[in-house]
Parts: sequence; C-alpha cells; structure tokens
Amino acid sequence: MQRPESRPIESAIAIAICALVLLILSNAYPLVVMHVNGASRETTLVGAALGMYVQNYTTLAALVLLTTVIAPFVQIIALLYLLIPLWRGRRAPGQSTVFRLLMWVRRWSFMEVFMLGSLVALVRLSNYTHVVPGVSLWSCALLMMSLSALSTVSSPEQFWVWAERCPR
Amino acid sequence: MSIPATGRSLGLVVCLECRSTVRAVRHLARPRCPRCYARLHERKPHSLAITTVLIVSAAVLYVPANLLPVMTTREIFEDEQDTIMSGVLELLHSGSWPIALLVFIASIVVPLLKIIALAVLLYSAWRRESRLRMQRTELYRLVEFIGRWSMLDIYAVSILATLVQVQSFANILIGWGAWSFGAVVVLTLIAARTFDERLLWDEPVRA
Amino acid sequence: MNDCCGTSPSVPETPPPNLDELPAAVSARPLSSRLPLVWILPAVVILVGAFVVIHEKLAQGISIEIRFHDAEDLEASKTKIRYKDVEIGEVTDIHVSKDRKDVIVTAEIHRDAKEYLVADTRFWVVRPEVSAAGVSGLGTLVSGAYISVDAGNSPERRRQFVGLEVPPIVTSDLPGREFVLHADELGSLGIGSRVFYRHINAGQVVGYSLDKAGTGVTIKVFINAPFDSYVTGDTRFWQASGIDMSINSDGVKLRTESLTAILEGGVAFQALPGNAAPAAVDTVFTLYNDEDRALRPLETEIRTFVMYFKGSLRGLSSGAPVELHGIAIGEVRSLDVEYDKELGTLHYPVQVDLYPQRIRGREWRRAPRPPSKDAPEASSRALVDSLVAHGLRAELKTGNLITGQKYVDMDMHPDAPAETIRWSDQPTEFPTVSNGLDDIQDSVGGIARKLNKVPFDQISYRLMSTLTTLEQTLKSTDQLMRHVDASVAPQVTATLAEAQAAMKNAKDLLAQDAPLQSDLGATLLQLSRAAKSVTALVDYLERHPESLLRGKPGDAP
Repeated sequence: MQRPESRPIESAIAIAICALVLLILSNAYPLVVMHVNGASRETTLVGAALGMYVQNYTTLAALVLLTTVIAPFVQIIALLYLLIPLWRGRRAPGQSTVFRLLMWVRRWSFMEVFMLGSLVALVRLSNYTHVVPGVSLWSCALLMMSLSALSTVSSPEQFWVWAERCPR
Repeated sequence: MSIPATGRSLGLVVCLECRSTVRAVRHLARPRCPRCYARLHERKPHSLAITTVLIVSAAVLYVPANLLPVMTTREIFEDEQDTIMSGVLELLHSGSWPIALLVFIASIVVPLLKIIALAVLLYSAWRRESRLRMQRTELYRLVEFIGRWSMLDIYAVSILATLVQVQSFANILIGWGAWSFGAVVVLTLIAARTFDERLLWDEPVRA
Repeated sequence: MNDCCGTSPSVPETPPPNLDELPAAVSARPLSSRLPLVWILPAVVILVGAFVVIHEKLAQGISIEIRFHDAEDLEASKTKIRYKDVEIGEVTDIHVSKDRKDVIVTAEIHRDAKEYLVADTRFWVVRPEVSAAGVSGLGTLVSGAYISVDAGNSPERRRQFVGLEVPPIVTSDLPGREFVLHADELGSLGIGSRVFYRHINAGQVVGYSLDKAGTGVTIKVFINAPFDSYVTGDTRFWQASGIDMSINSDGVKLRTESLTAILEGGVAFQALPGNAAPAAVDTVFTLYNDEDRALRPLETEIRTFVMYFKGSLRGLSSGAPVELHGIAIGEVRSLDVEYDKELGTLHYPVQVDLYPQRIRGREWRRAPRPPSKDAPEASSRALVDSLVAHGLRAELKTGNLITGQKYVDMDMHPDAPAETIRWSDQPTEFPTVSNGLDDIQDSVGGIARKLNKVPFDQISYRLMSTLTTLEQTLKSTDQLMRHVDASVAPQVTATLAEAQAAMKNAKDLLAQDAPLQSDLGATLLQLSRAAKSVTALVDYLERHPESLLRGKPGDAP
C-alpha cells in the first residue's frame, strides 16, 4: 500500500477533456481508406465492430464495441462526472456507484491493444492493396496515450484522496 | 524470521476497488466498503473453483481457436482459409517479420502461457505452496497485465473483415476460429479476475 | 524614508498614515496555479481537432444526386465520375428512389469541379458498347463503367440531376451547327445515324419527331465543324441509307454510301453551286429520297400535262422519266383512272410534269451563267405548239425488258395524225401515239377475239364423230380388202393373165417386121398420098373455086 502524492485535480480533468475530444475525432472519421481495383472502402471504429455484427458474430461485435468505443467513452464521462463536482468542491451524486463502474470499465478498455491490432491489419492489407491511414488512426493513438495517462493520474487511491477533501 | 502479520490476522480487509484498508466486521452478512460500497471479501468466494472452471473451458476452446479458420478470404476463383498461425506465416512471407512475431506472441503464446500460468498458480494456491511466493505473485501480475493483448488478432480481423468487401477483389468472412479465440481471451481475462492472489500467500493448513 | 537630496517644494505637510491600515502585500501566485499548464493540453487538442474538422470539411466534395433508370454497372465507392476523362468525383451511394421507378445515385464531386454543376450539365453512364457505329468504351471493360459529364453553360447551379440513359450524340462544346430536315418518312435513320459529306462522316442525326399533323418527319442533324460551312442555302440533303438500288427504265443502279450507312442508315449532303453563304442554325431543308432527286436542279418552270396512252400502264410508275431523245425533260407525276359515264369506258390519264427549260437548257449549259428569267408564257406555249405541229408526240416505251419498266418517250412522228393542244383545258392534254407493239397487241387481240368466236367445242365434237365414222369406214375397207384379197384377187390375176396374152398378140401383130405392120404401113402410105391429093384439090379449089364448074384449065377436052 502506498501513499500517493497528490496531484492537482485539474490535470486529470484536462487530460479527460483531451481524451474526450480525441474520442470524438476517432469515431467521426475513418480509420483507414483502402483502395483496390478502383474501388475504395473505409471504416470507422464503430464500423469495424459492425462489420462483425453484419456477419452474424454478434458476441464478437459486442466485445469489440465494448472494448474500443463504449469502455473508453464511459471511462471518460464517468471520470468527468466524478471529478468536475469534486473540482468545484462537491460530491457527485452516486459517487461510489459511478466509481465502481469506472473501475470496472477501465479493466475492459483495450484501446492500446486495438492500436496494435489495427497496425497488424494495416500491414496485412498493404501487402495487396493501397492503404491510406485516416484521421481516426492518429487520434486513436493519441487517445490511447491519454487514456493510459488518465488511468495513472486518477488511480483509485488518488481519486479517494481528492474525494475525501470534499465534505460529504 | 518472523512472518509479517497478515491482514486477516489483524482483522483487516482491503477493498479491492478503492484500495482502502477496512476493518472487517465479522457479523455483517454482506460487508461493503465504507468508501466505495464495493463488496468486501477476505478472499474472493469460490475463487479456486470458478477460476479452475474458466481455465479448463479456455483450454478446451484453445484448440478450435487455433484449428478453425479465423477468417476466410473469398476471391473470384478460390477461397482461402486463415487460421491464426497461417496469418502469422503470411506476415512472415510478406517480409514483415516483426509484426509476425508480435502476432505470434500475442495470439498464440500469450493465451497458452496465461492458461498454463493460471493453472500453475491455481495449483500452488490449492496446495498452498509457500515457496517462490513473490515470483508467483509477479507471475500473477504479469498474467493480469498481458491478458488483454491477446485481443490483438481479434481487432485486426474486425478491421480486415469490414474493409475487404470488394466484389471485384475479395470478400473476407469471419470464421469460428475467431469466435473461439475471443472466448479464450475473455475467459482467461475473467479467470485472472476471479483468482484471488491473496490465496498465494495463505499459509498451508497445518495438520 | 525621506530623501534628503533635495526638498520637494510643493508637497503639503500631512500627517504620516497608519502603516497597519495599509493592505499587506501578498506573494505573487506562481504562474502554474494562476493558469495551470495542464490546461494547455486540452486547449491544444481542441485546436488541433477543430483544425482537422475544418480541413476535412473543406476537402469534402459536393454531394449531388443523379437519377437513372437502373444502377447497372454502377457501384458505390467505386464508380468514378469523369469530365473529359478527368476524374472529378465518385459515386458514394446508390439506392432505389421512393417511387421505385428510378435509382438515385449519390456522388461526391471534388470541390474544384463545383463550377461544372449547372442546370444543363448532363450525366450518362459509359459502358462498353458494340453497335453498327463501332465499338466504344472498351476501356470500361477493364476499369469498370464510369459516369461521364458534359458540363453545361447555364448560370443556374444545380445539385440534383436526371441522368441520360443513352450517351448524348453531341456534347455542348463540340463545334458545329444544328439543322432541321423534313422528310416524308424516317426510313432507316435513327439517332446517331451519320451524315456524310462526300463520303466523309460530317455529323449525326441527333433527334427526330413526327410532325404535328403526322404528315412527315422532322429530323434534327448536327453537322460538325468544319463541314457545317458547306451547308449553304443551296445545300441538298438526301437519304443515303442502305443500298440504293433503283430499277428504272435506265436499268439497275446500285449505289451505297458506306458500310456504316448500310447498317445504320445515313444522310448525305452536297451544296449546289450558287449561294455560298452558310445557312443559319436550324434552317429547314427537305430530305430527298436519293441523290438524283436531291441534286436535280430545281426546275423553275414546270408545265403539267395529261397524257392518255393506249394499252396497259403497267411498268410505268410515278417518277418515271419523260425523255426527249434520251434527255430527261420531265417526270411522270401520277397515274389515274377516269371513267366516262356516258360511253361506259375507262381511260387512264397520266399526269406529267414537263420542264420546257430543259430544252433550252442545252444552250445555257455552255455558257455558265444562271438562267435568266422565264420567257413569257406565250412564247413557251408557242414553242410547244410548234413542236407538236411538227409531230412531237408522247409514246409509252419499255425501258427495261427485264423489269418491264416503262417510260414516256417524246419524239417527232411526222406521220402522226395532226393534233393541236387545247391550252384552255385544265390539265392540258398532250397528244400521244401508240407504238407498234400496241398495234400488234391490238391485232393479236383481234385474232384472239376471233379465235374466241370459233366454236371449238362444236368442231371438236364433230371431229370426234367424223373420226369415229372414219374409223368404221376403215374397218369395213379393211374387211373389203381382205375379201378382195381372198376372192377377187385370183380372178383379177386371171384377167390380167389374159390381158397379158392379148397384149402379146397385139405386140406380135404390131412388131416392126410384122406383116400387119408392113401392111399397115403401105396402107398408111396410100392414105397419105390420097390425103395429099385431096389437099391439093382443096387448095386448087380454094384458088379456083370456079373450077368446080369449069374444071381445070388445061385439062379440056
């Protein structure tokens, strides 16, 4: 058990906002654009999950969606939900529940694995097609970094340090 | 050498969610963490049993995950089926051997290692081995950490299957190997969660 | 502390303020807490994000919708849009329209091609096409079909278009002009049919429609530059479709324009010498049926006559020439039937157009100047009267024995019965003669009629009965002969033998040295002597008839 040194809460909020913007960008634009035989195809993050759904692998699709879109999103929103009131000096309602949700969701957020997976896919595609990385790919990379920074900055211990500063 | 006092002997429990140290109150039926209201357990209930079941299921599914095709590339004249291994070989042949190595490790080695490691950990927890506890704990931490990286291939397949749907070129269809593989990853991830690492530190019951 | 380097002259004396009441200085807050550095990070991210969004929006193309009947060969995210073969966009989505009649093709056009999207811009699908006109769009077999654009010039911008199902014949920027042709029928022409000038492909038919009254067809042609400068006021257009095979009194003529024209139909044109000013756009021309008709100089003077011919008019058709010694001076216009109620007879008037100018035309062809104004009516009538008086007649002749095509031949027949033209009749009748063949026909007709009168039936009936009788006679003769043979013959033979014997006797008697012969000879001699004396006596008596009475002188007692 360690006693964490306290960081300012603003840094967590700031990183969370970055992550949110990056998440929006990552989902708004396509990951890659593939050109083959004059045809071009592209997909977004959600599209990749839907691609599995369309082929009737619903469970797999749900898994991909959860770990790459839903979990990061809930992670950021939950943290902001908790931290902004704390920053203002109040407790968010349902703090402990949201906190547990946050902890659970963090365990299922695999953005960094996704980045590596998409890299593998790109390499395999580029062997026989012309592949252009999209905006989303870069913002996903930054998102991955900001999410991991976020986890570090707002570790459970750190969170409760902030939380306990505020009156009940 | 004196054994450091265990938390249990002191009547203390650590909340797994918020890491606070809480004084256990025995008479409470379902004790909760005062801070985060998470369920408190001295040791996760039925940890060994559930973990064993999960590991066994994962081991069983590991076979089809590698034998069944993960994706089928349907071109105009032929169908080409890819298992995880054949994907690795394809990457190797096309020259990108670092990526090939990466996929090999993440998709074939890691799940296997996780299963084996958890099996070892289960065994040692069951038998309450007292040697190499630190190493075993480190092993557990490692297992918990690298578990997620096996999802790598699944993400790659999702992107490939979504993009390569070009009539005049090829269509990629996902195979049952991918599903099995996903199941293996999820099962081992949950197994790592259900395993209570504190069990490693339990003293053997003296007869 | 007072500064002792000089006094401040105008500072009034006031009591020094209480120091404790002064607000105390505070230490300056570190920059990081006044403006936490960490906020720069989201600020930067937001800026970059905004930049990316704006950049993407700017790079995005313009979305347009094109309506086609179906989406054949079109594929979303693949089919390109090209203007002059330069890619200006791509199809992004295809779906069926709400009314299920069409297909809506959504496409994204690059921003810098925005100016092409105006009201009269046309879109069509380019696919491989094999037609009689040729093979086009083969490149699309490899690259896939694409949508081609013909940008218009309208100032009005538009985002929704109706695509053409068929590639347009003429694109907006093609130099050339459009003209209008009028014909009785379309023939084998269609959209895309070629227009030829001296056998060179000079343009195309771009459209046709039935006249409002349904009496003809209006055809629009587009003539490419530089051929459009040859379309003057005096240009003639004719149908050059297919194989022009004309069978007329001149024989069989085969004329083709080109293989394309045969397969596809075509129009050809030629400018007649004369007006050289290019015709205005949309000038209306007549589409003639063939080259001859088209290039025939317009007759400025046409005289219509009616001719009555004996005999069948079969083989004479409208348009058949009227020739004078082999030179065409007119044309048969129509053949009619007339019924004379009173006499109860049918007549066949042939309406003929004559061009008297042609007769005069021989002279001015030598001097190449345009024909002067017509001679007054009277003098041309006088000319005709004079010719007729000298025996100019019209005759129906067969031009081609194989096909039986007839034509009207005008020739001088000095021994034809005299006729005059009654100019007051409308239409004026021109005298005709019938040709020898007609007479033969008449005689043959007469003979035939006579033959018809012969009661062949009765004759044949009688003949039959005669023959039957003859047959019987022959039979009885035959019997008789047999009878003769059997009984009469031996008797006859006997008779003959007796005759033969008698003849022999006679012969013996009459032989040269037979005593009868010599006796007969002597007798004959005496007889002749006696005859001689008688003759001398007679002579003497003739000379001296009186001697009968007197006797002979000299012979007196």
